[in-house]
Amino acid sequence: MVEVRNLTKRYGANLAVDQVSFTIEEGSIVGFLGPNGAGKSTTMNIITGYLSASEGSVTVSGKNTLDDPNEVKKLIGYLPEQPPLYLDMTVKEYLDFVYELKKASQPKKQHIEEICQLVKIDNVYGRLIGNLSKGYKQRVGIAQALIGNPPVLILDEPTVGLDPKQIIEIRTLIKNLGRNHTVILSSHILPEVQAVCERIIVINNGRLVADGATDTLAHDLSQDHRLIIRAEGPEREMLHAMEALEKVKEVHALGEKEPGAYEFSVETQPEEDVRRDLFALMVRHGWPVLGLKNTDLTLEDLFLQLTSTDTAAAGKGDN
Amino acid sequence: MNAIFKRELRSYFSSPIGYVCIAILAALYGFFYFMVMAYGSSSYIPSVVYNTMFSFSMLVIPIITMRSMTDDQKNKTDQILLTAPVGVTAIVLGKFLACFVVFFGASTLGLLPAVAMSTFSSPSWGEILGNYIGTLLYGGAMISIGVFISSLTVSQIIAAIGTFAVSVLLMFIDNLASSISNAAASAVVDWISFSNRYNVFTRGLFSVPSLVFFLSVMAVFVFLTARRLESRRWS
Repeated sequence: MVEVRNLTKRYGANLAVDQVSFTIEEGSIVGFLGPNGAGKSTTMNIITGYLSASEGSVTVSGKNTLDDPNEVKKLIGYLPEQPPLYLDMTVKEYLDFVYELKKASQPKKQHIEEICQLVKIDNVYGRLIGNLSKGYKQRVGIAQALIGNPPVLILDEPTVGLDPKQIIEIRTLIKNLGRNHTVILSSHILPEVQAVCERIIVINNGRLVADGATDTLAHDLSQDHRLIIRAEGPEREMLHAMEALEKVKEVHALGEKEPGAYEFSVETQPEEDVRRDLFALMVRHGWPVLGLKNTDLTLEDLFLQLTSTDTAAAGKGDN
Repeated sequence: MNAIFKRELRSYFSSPIGYVCIAILAALYGFFYFMVMAYGSSSYIPSVVYNTMFSFSMLVIPIITMRSMTDDQKNKTDQILLTAPVGVTAIVLGKFLACFVVFFGASTLGLLPAVAMSTFSSPSWGEILGNYIGTLLYGGAMISIGVFISSLTVSQIIAAIGTFAVSVLLMFIDNLASSISNAAASAVVDWISFSNRYNVFTRGLFSVPSLVFFLSVMAVFVFLTARRLESRRWS
């Protein structure tokens, strides 16, 4: 659906985006993650055609942004970091304007009404945008992106400045939108991306540093693959029994943690999942398993690890 | 283009700026027509009304154009325009036309005193319409320059002062031409002069070269503004 190839953006001598490539399939929700100034917004601005790339190409639905800019723009609904609202218009006037601007073909009144109900702004429909609260402004911004029902939605930090209740509402909304849209959203808030996205692309200093499914990204990127198991039984026998398992590389005893219960660190091959085998083994010998956890990095650890390289150089770019 | 034009035009009248500009020009037109009445002959209309209004219009136009491109950059609303399926030229044309319609409204209101006069007298409509068309043409050219200048900055004040400076320069450029001794340079300056082109119309004549000149100025500056908008994508 969206294909980005070797995207590079220079601001003078400053490299904001450096050789970023990825492909996003239709109907997925992808999170752009990175610290402030990492190049998330710049990348999004290039995909939407607001900025042009210094090098590289963006293709949406097989159409290149340079060859058919207007065709590509029709396919994308964009909520920039700061919602592009005209403060001197009412919500109704503004959405009518956007409808005309995007040359939408849906029946006007019904289409706008549906969107207003979806993002819950129907109660402020007749009010001046300048008088709305930050949360409502953000929602009008999302409504604006939805007009014309574009298949691709690009949302730049959609929940910034909202209160916790609104954040949950907007997240639910984005998840629902993800059922029939391709959604790209950016955030520097990890739990948000974790809660909403199926896939995460981590950008730091303009470079793509990680890309993978939300559930497995942390596991795949962890350097070591160890399990900590706590079980009740004779220490030495348990150790030998576990070492004898096919997929296990090494087992270390970590000592007695509870009366009669011992902890072991079980190291496995990277691609192997040994948890079922371990459980079966313990059941066979009648050693109750009291705890089993893996030591994969949490996304939080991973994020810090990926982005803790020198960020001083990343000045411009996140606007 | 249509959507942008309508939005821009509406924004002039959701703030006082559109009303103020139109009110000032309409009041001045009324005042100078009153002077004509005082002189007692409609032959004074070109010299008393339109010659003075040339200068006043030049002063009001910067106010009309100052916010056309600056606001979008400042409020980041250019993001919705530039990511919508419309070309940059359509964006600029929409904004240019909105400014022009405000000026057109004011100038057309300026015809009202002449209409009132014609109920009890017979002013020379050929002359009046010639002046009116001339006003619209140099106004349009000046507006295109104003829109271009407003695209160079995010500050309304700088846009207004810049456009104001250019309009003052254009008002006095023929004086400049007469004081230049070099014939070629003088001819060039003379050729640029808006008031020379405009004066043809004040005599009640319709001049095709002047029409082409003013339309070309509009086209060039709309084009330059569009390029300016486009160039920001690459910076």
